Amino acid sequence: MKSIRRKILTFSTIVIVIMSIIWIALTFYNYKTQVKYNDIINRYLILSEVSGASNQVITDLNNYMNQSTPENLQKLENSKKALESSRYEVFKVRNEVNDFTLTNYIHLMGSLIETIDRLMGQERDSEAALKDLAETTRIRNYISEMTLNLIDMELKTHEPFYRSIMEQSIELVKLAIWMVLLTSLLLIMASYWFSLSITSPVNQLTKAASELAKGKFDNEITVKSNDEIAFLAKTFDHMRININNLIQQIKEKAKLEHELQQNKILLQESQFRSLQSQMNPHFLFNTLNTLSKKAYLEGSEEVSDLLVSVADLLRYNLKQMDRSVTLRDELMVVHQYMQIQKARFTDRLQLKLDIDDSCLDVAIPALTLQPIIENAVIHAIEPNISGGTITIHVKDMNEYVQVEIEDDGIGMSEETITQILMERQVQTAGHSTGIGFSNVVKRLRLFYERDDVIQIESSLGSGTVVLLKIPKQRGEVHD
Amino acid sequence: MKKYMYVIMGLVFVSLGYLIFVSASIVFSDDIALPKAKKQSDTRFRLVLITRDMDTAFWNKVSTGASRQALKEGASLEVWGSYSNDSEQFLKQFELAIHSKVDGIIIQGLDTDEFKELTKVKAAFNGIPIITVANDVPMKESLRRTYVGSDQFRAGGLIARQLLSDMGTEGKVILLADKQNEYYQKERLKGIYATLKMYPQIKIQYAETGESKDQVITTMRDQLNKVPDVDGFIAVNAKMIGPMVQEIGNRFQVEPYFIYTFDEGPESLLLFEDGKIDGVVEQDPETMGEISVEQIINWLNGKTVPLDSNGYFTNIHMLKDNRNEEH
Repeated sequence: MKSIRRKILTFSTIVIVIMSIIWIALTFYNYKTQVKYNDIINRYLILSEVSGASNQVITDLNNYMNQSTPENLQKLENSKKALESSRYEVFKVRNEVNDFTLTNYIHLMGSLIETIDRLMGQERDSEAALKDLAETTRIRNYISEMTLNLIDMELKTHEPFYRSIMEQSIELVKLAIWMVLLTSLLLIMASYWFSLSITSPVNQLTKAASELAKGKFDNEITVKSNDEIAFLAKTFDHMRININNLIQQIKEKAKLEHELQQNKILLQESQFRSLQSQMNPHFLFNTLNTLSKKAYLEGSEEVSDLLVSVADLLRYNLKQMDRSVTLRDELMVVHQYMQIQKARFTDRLQLKLDIDDSCLDVAIPALTLQPIIENAVIHAIEPNISGGTITIHVKDMNEYVQVEIEDDGIGMSEETITQILMERQVQTAGHSTGIGFSNVVKRLRLFYERDDVIQIESSLGSGTVVLLKIPKQRGEVHD
Repeated sequence: MKKYMYVIMGLVFVSLGYLIFVSASIVFSDDIALPKAKKQSDTRFRLVLITRDMDTAFWNKVSTGASRQALKEGASLEVWGSYSNDSEQFLKQFELAIHSKVDGIIIQGLDTDEFKELTKVKAAFNGIPIITVANDVPMKESLRRTYVGSDQFRAGGLIARQLLSDMGTEGKVILLADKQNEYYQKERLKGIYATLKMYPQIKIQYAETGESKDQVITTMRDQLNKVPDVDGFIAVNAKMIGPMVQEIGNRFQVEPYFIYTFDEGPESLLLFEDGKIDGVVEQDPETMGEISVEQIINWLNGKTVPLDSNGYFTNIHMLKDNRNEEH
């Protein structure tokens, strides 16, 4: 990850490097030119020194010739030495162009010194001495002339160099202008890009943040850079996703609550309806009770009892429809039902009970036995003129209580049994709806949460046995 | 829009880069090579050729030949001198050369006392060999090592014979020489006289004059007055041929006269080509230069010691105007 700090550092380093390169180049150029200048000026200085030294020698010589004091002699010796030393200096000026002239020049100085030495050895004011004195002056003049010549030669040989320096200095100004233009352009562009690389991710982030603020959580936050901002954006995006999830959860909860509310309302409504529907039967069995009293008063006790049984049955039906009861209660209902049926079938209907009293407290859904008995009555007793017997066995089988309802009727086909156990409606003749039995199967299975709670054993013509295995361990009675 | 911006930016950068490259290559270019410094002086011989007639065709040829030979011999040679026969400046250069202790001096001889003084005393004192070239000064007077140039006596004879063959053995001739009466002129005159004395029918009118143009014209005027029926002219000093022809032209037609001179004068060959003069003794200045350098090197190397004191003569021949034969 490239950090913004590193970007800034890199940028300023590049700027510094560029500046340094320019500075070094200019310094180098200056140094180079300076060295050459110095060299050239030095050459001129050496040449002019020679001319000066030879003049000095002649002046001192003339002074000495006029006044031969030791002081003047000393002066002459000194200036001679100066001339000698500048004669050696001149060797430095030698180059290919002035070689010939310079050699002459050096020899001229030598000649001057020789002539002076010769002059010193001669008798003063002799003709030869005067001649030599004149000659020294002439040689001095030659030296001066040759100095001018040499300087002229220097000028000529260095002319291209001077011109190039002049040209270069003009060009240097141009170069500086171009360099300033180029570097400033580069810097402007670089700083534009640089600032863009910092601000554009920030802008993107700002935009994303304002989107979030507006509540749009679905747009992904992407920042195309690889610095801290990108990291920030990534974190930001993470936060957005989290928020999004939370919101989703809240929404789902709200929906659930709403549904719950709806269901509650529906439930209340149905309770209300069921209460409403209970009103009419109450009125009905009040009426039945009134009828029973009337029958009793009119001396028909049997009808009176019958009506009480019907009323009880009806009350039981209304009251216990959706709750579990004990086996005892069920058997009571069966008993009352049989009483009513007895009033119809009289002696044709035989009910035999074989009941283990200890088993009567097991929980069982209400109205379980009655539909099975009714089924047996309809299919075993009714079609048979001689009637039939229905036997109920209740046995304790340790784990469960076995209830056997046995009839000696015409029996059932295999197909019918399967249909019943598959909880399908059975198409039957007569007035029975066929809903009853399969309803019982369904309720039993739901109640005990197991499939083997009911068995049917039957074959055509040899009666039917319905076997109920009612588990003892089913916990508390369902409310 | 953005694309245009990029293109423009690119162009700006490229052009700036180009300008910078051009400027930088000038600024940082290697400087024009200065002459290389030399620590040690050459051990080559330093020779000087000194003349009084710098930048004349004749002496340019001498220096060309000398330079060529010096290059061949590996010696360094410089040509010094004065212009327009300025002997004062010439002698100054000569003295300068002696004081500069050059290894050898090749010099146009000047038949004056100052010159002889310098050669005999100063140059000899400093042990500098001197060779005269083109114009000789006798060895006894100058102590020159040798002379390289034309045999002036023979040249005089050559011109005289040409005169004879053109003019015949009868006629009047004006000889014009300068007052200096230098050795080479004397030799030429000797040569002319030696040839012409066999023909008594030829009358020779000898005249001396100063070097300046006015003096030449005045002298010529006098001579033409003295000898109005002159037939031929010989300019013994070639520098006088210009004013001479001019003066003749002022009076008569130049064509019928027989006019001769030598080729070292600045106008000799020009006038010859114009057909104004009838013959020019052509010398061989390039060879003079070459031989003089060769001989002085020989002497310096000790190959030829001593040099031939009579001198080394170079070729001469007569340039004759063929057009004259037509009339």
